[in-house]
Amino acid sequence: MEKYYKRRFAPLALPAVILFVMVILLPFVIGIVYSFTSWRGTYFAGGTLFESFVGFENYIKAFKTKKFMDALVYTVKFTLIAVVIINLVSLCMSLLATYIHKGASAYRTIYFLPNLLGGLALGYIWQFIFQIVFSKLLFGPEGVISIPALTNMTQDNTKALFALAILFTWQQAGYMILIYINGLNNIPKDLTEAASIDGANVFQRFFNITVPMLMPSFTIVFFLTLSRCFMLLDQNIALTDGDFGTRMLAMQILRTTRDSSPPNYGLAQAQAVIFFVLIAAVTIVQVSITSKKEVEL
Amino acid sequence: MHTTMSGRQKAGQVIAHIVMILIAIYTLFPIVFLVFNSFKSNSEIVDSPVSLPTQWSFQYIISAAQQINFFKAIGITFMITFLSVLLLVVVSSLAAWVMVRSKSVLSRVMYLGFTAAMLVPFQAVMYPLLNIFENIGLKNIPGLIIMYGGFGLSMSVFLYHGFIKSVPQSLEEAAIIDGANIFQMFFQVVMPLLRSTTVTVIVTNAMWIWNDYLLPFLVIGNREGAKTLTLELYFAKLTSGQYGNPWELIFPAVFVTIIPIIILYIFLQRYIVSGVADGAVKQ
Repeated sequence: MEKYYKRRFAPLALPAVILFVMVILLPFVIGIVYSFTSWRGTYFAGGTLFESFVGFENYIKAFKTKKFMDALVYTVKFTLIAVVIINLVSLCMSLLATYIHKGASAYRTIYFLPNLLGGLALGYIWQFIFQIVFSKLLFGPEGVISIPALTNMTQDNTKALFALAILFTWQQAGYMILIYINGLNNIPKDLTEAASIDGANVFQRFFNITVPMLMPSFTIVFFLTLSRCFMLLDQNIALTDGDFGTRMLAMQILRTTRDSSPPNYGLAQAQAVIFFVLIAAVTIVQVSITSKKEVEL
Repeated sequence: MHTTMSGRQKAGQVIAHIVMILIAIYTLFPIVFLVFNSFKSNSEIVDSPVSLPTQWSFQYIISAAQQINFFKAIGITFMITFLSVLLLVVVSSLAAWVMVRSKSVLSRVMYLGFTAAMLVPFQAVMYPLLNIFENIGLKNIPGLIIMYGGFGLSMSVFLYHGFIKSVPQSLEEAAIIDGANIFQMFFQVVMPLLRSTTVTVIVTNAMWIWNDYLLPFLVIGNREGAKTLTLELYFAKLTSGQYGNPWELIFPAVFVTIIPIIILYIFLQRYIVSGVADGAVKQ
């Protein structure tokens, strides 16, 4: 029987291999090579590919470029804040959803809705909410309560960080609770019941049973939130368009080619390779740490 | 014990529901708000953003729909999404199936390659990819569909691969004995068994392809008559935003672009939510 499939392996797997090589593998390898050259997009400065080879110059330049370093710091800050908020919010929501006896699926359906809509469209709506509803109606000098920290959030470097986190939490929580609810439902009921008979209170039960049993879900949600926050682009463009120093890495790589003339694609590509290494390193470390903490029953 | 706790438990349930309803209102607020403001003029939007429109006039929606070439753009977006997802489903299910069944070293290497590619962010391949596709004359809509096919592949192969491992092979053997060829066997015997995974693959890929901004922006850009809904929205905001924000255009434009998704969600929410949940958990 295996022979039957092996004989047909090549023609059936070929379309996938062609797509993979054409869209991912080849551009990835070429991208690494080009990041060591003075590539200008349509030509190589200095002649042929070999003549334009510049070694690590683009990488050194990237780390010396203020815009890139600012974007890197801003991305890390945003990722830290957003990962914590999204996880806390969605975990609390999931605990509530598994606590109630009725109607959990209706809530789940509503919470999931923002996830279906594009980051650009949502960014525009929230831009208005931050600029008009927050700044004038709710938290402005003549608003319901005056909280200056919550006004003009899209026009300030630090406030925009939180504006972006609010927007992204609103969008992502509905997705993440699907994973947490699934994890919570997989925890055997007799474990928590046994613990409460033994006299464990709510907090003891949560930290000694729920959290360790939920580790597989933490692994997935942390992976997803980390990588999505790190790669955020659409919402960043829609909310602030990188003004006030709010450019994140994905936008920085996209806009680098517009920052100079002729466009420096070699530099942009070096930034992209650094971006890849960072994401790969962070997610691999995270997954190996959290999955080590997973307990087998 | 239950009788003494029931009062407290009831109160707990009520409080939990109140909190969840508040969160639901918070979740829906921006969307309801969007609908209201799609019927207002610019000055009315800015002056009284949270109130109901004084009159439900469709003029802003109609002019926004015209400005973003709504019907043309939705047609293009639908075509791109449909063909990309179709390509993905057929290619990835066939590849994953034959990879699971043949159990060769090559298939294991391929599986490793596909899963490792999930770590590669789009930005890392973006510029060389565009360069290659431009050189072979594919910097257009067909090229865009091929790109989506490539980018969705890893995840889809991974999902199918995981599921097919648990599908018994005996049915396929019976089909061969009955004289079916490999395609008959795959599409009539194997594919129906993969239905739940296919739903997941369709939903997760359709969601991001439909809303995607970056790839169409890079491939199509501001080309007349080829823009997707998201692109039309982006350029409408960009070109009219030079003199302050034209909210009477932005709100109805965003509104019309999300109507199809909302309608689809109302009818298919069960499949969409469970499809996404299955996919997320299997990662």
